[in-house]
Amino acid sequence: MKFFNLLKKELKEMLGLQTIMIMVVSVVALVFAGQAMSDAIDESSESQMDITICDLDKTEFTDAVVTALKAQLNESGGELKEVELESDDYPKELDRLDISSVVIIPEGFTDQVEKSESADVSFVQKMTSLATMSNLNTGSQTALGFISAAVKSTIYAQKVLDGTMTEPEIVLLENPVTLNETTVVADKSESISSSAVLSMCSMQNMVVPIIMFVLIMFSSQMILNTIATEKVDKTLETLLSAPISRLSVISAKMLSAGTVAALQAIVYMIGMNRMMSGFTDNLSAEGNYDKALEALGLTMGFKQYLLVGLQMFLSILIALSVSLILGALAKDAKSAQTLILPITLSTMIPYMLSMFLDLQTVSPALRYVVYAIPFTHTFMASQNAMFGNSGIYIGGIIYQLVFLIVCMTVALRIFMSDRIFTMTIGGKKKKNKHEAE
Amino acid sequence: MEPIKVLEVKGLSKQYKKGVYASEKVTFDVKKGEIFALIGPNGAGKTTTIRMIATLLQATEGDALVAGYSILTDPDKVRRNITYLPDEAGAYKNMTGRSYLKFMAELYADNKEQAEEYAAEGCRMCELGDRLDDKISSYSRGMQRKLLLARAIMSKPVLAILDEPTSGLDIINALEIRRMIKNLAAEGMSFLISSHNMLEIEYVSDRVGIIAKGHLLETGKPSELLEKYDTKNLEEVFEKAVNAQ
Repeated sequence: MKFFNLLKKELKEMLGLQTIMIMVVSVVALVFAGQAMSDAIDESSESQMDITICDLDKTEFTDAVVTALKAQLNESGGELKEVELESDDYPKELDRLDISSVVIIPEGFTDQVEKSESADVSFVQKMTSLATMSNLNTGSQTALGFISAAVKSTIYAQKVLDGTMTEPEIVLLENPVTLNETTVVADKSESISSSAVLSMCSMQNMVVPIIMFVLIMFSSQMILNTIATEKVDKTLETLLSAPISRLSVISAKMLSAGTVAALQAIVYMIGMNRMMSGFTDNLSAEGNYDKALEALGLTMGFKQYLLVGLQMFLSILIALSVSLILGALAKDAKSAQTLILPITLSTMIPYMLSMFLDLQTVSPALRYVVYAIPFTHTFMASQNAMFGNSGIYIGGIIYQLVFLIVCMTVALRIFMSDRIFTMTIGGKKKKNKHEAE
Repeated sequence: MEPIKVLEVKGLSKQYKKGVYASEKVTFDVKKGEIFALIGPNGAGKTTTIRMIATLLQATEGDALVAGYSILTDPDKVRRNITYLPDEAGAYKNMTGRSYLKFMAELYADNKEQAEEYAAEGCRMCELGDRLDDKISSYSRGMQRKLLLARAIMSKPVLAILDEPTSGLDIINALEIRRMIKNLAAEGMSFLISSHNMLEIEYVSDRVGIIAKGHLLETGKPSELLEKYDTKNLEEVFEKAVNAQ
């Protein structure tokens, strides 16, 4: 009996209206993010089976391979589109044909097969983002597998059945096709597989979102705790009754939290950079990837770092101003801990979505919802800088500036009025008609 | 010659929602060098009234003038003429007593010399001696309250607003603080204090205002009120005033 009384009291304290409200919002946000991911994966898996092919060899053999591939794709729900490439300027050709990838059967392919040589097949893929889902293409693997099988059966028919197969030809049967991959980024192309580009860039770009995440969480937590503690200790009342402008009070809090956060950022940036370069330096040295990434424009120069830094700075200011508003709602340090959750979610969701999905290719409704979260633009900043999406980048900065001004205005209005002392969330006290103290 | 009024409260009200008044049409004044006390039980509306005068809460009706400046239209100028000590207030626990007084002095002073002067006065007033160089987190409740009171009066404001200045203090500390308030009032500083300890108020204040359920029921000198209600102490005055309402 006594235990249950205690348990009831503890539960009541921990499970206040504020906690429940935030839990509901979190669930809705996470369900939304999950649905978005699921839709994108569905869409992606459908398109993964579609193949665009260009037969430059144009022999009876390649014609038969393409026809058989078409039939197989139709059976599995995919589609085969045949195109004609006019030149090997792949960026231009992909744009002209409005396609993102193409499997090329080069001239001399049949000759190579007949000579029992490993036949070359090319695969060209255009990258528009570093999102994992947008760069998945199992269709190319299907095509490659199918072409390999066709080559194998030809060799088998010609050589094995009439008993003229040599030892090198037997070895060749294990790997009858050589895949040459080319990656296109904007107007540049380079002989490197998109998966290699993706893994290298992902590792390099992992630093910015992680730092962002740490910075936003750290600075928000600081501001929220400061305001909650000042409210509880009533030092805020002392401060706000002093002859000092409210703007100075807010600015000092934001600037100090921002400075400490920036200090943290520098320390983390150095540490993370060292850690990531431990991985990437070795990989680059082995695969000579550095030059390829540079040729594709996928390395961050001073200008790019400056642009990303600017968006990071804006994001931190936004997080701080939102925290000021949330801090005004906090009843105490415990409720401040709960109030950080909306910031955590609005940082986590765009971070995860931008990692897996190319936001430019998702449905407009989802895209606008995700773009409405101001932190999204910073998570996308390095990609936008590298892929030359200057329109989205500038739009993002303008949106962040507007968002910041709105938040700062709201925060200032709260601090200028008595709402700073009267506003709470889920903390409604039962009052007598005239009770105020 | 009529004494100078440093505070004129005119029909001040705070309505939280329709029909729910924390404070309703409160009117009184405080003269230079006077200690005016608002007395009433918890929840009577004392703190709400005081916080409106300290420009922390916005009045929904009425106005108050501090040194001639309106809390509605000139809150910045009002803040230059007051100091406010909230009930149960704390200080920045990571600071030492001395650095806290210096920090607060800099907020109230117009220049560095004045700030140093205020801080020195604060250090003298709080009588904490060597403990001033210790962290506030190590202070007892009484020491902290003395420090905060010194902070509130070191700049010699036109009006010092003290909410329950001796709450939670032992008899010795409470007596010291009352004595300090009386001495400063004798030097010309004005005080608006609130308390539910009516015996304390009887000793320290020049005039009192009895407040209950948001209404100011009576104002006058303690001796006048005792005579009017034919009682021996302010507690009985309060009881009779509330019953007569």
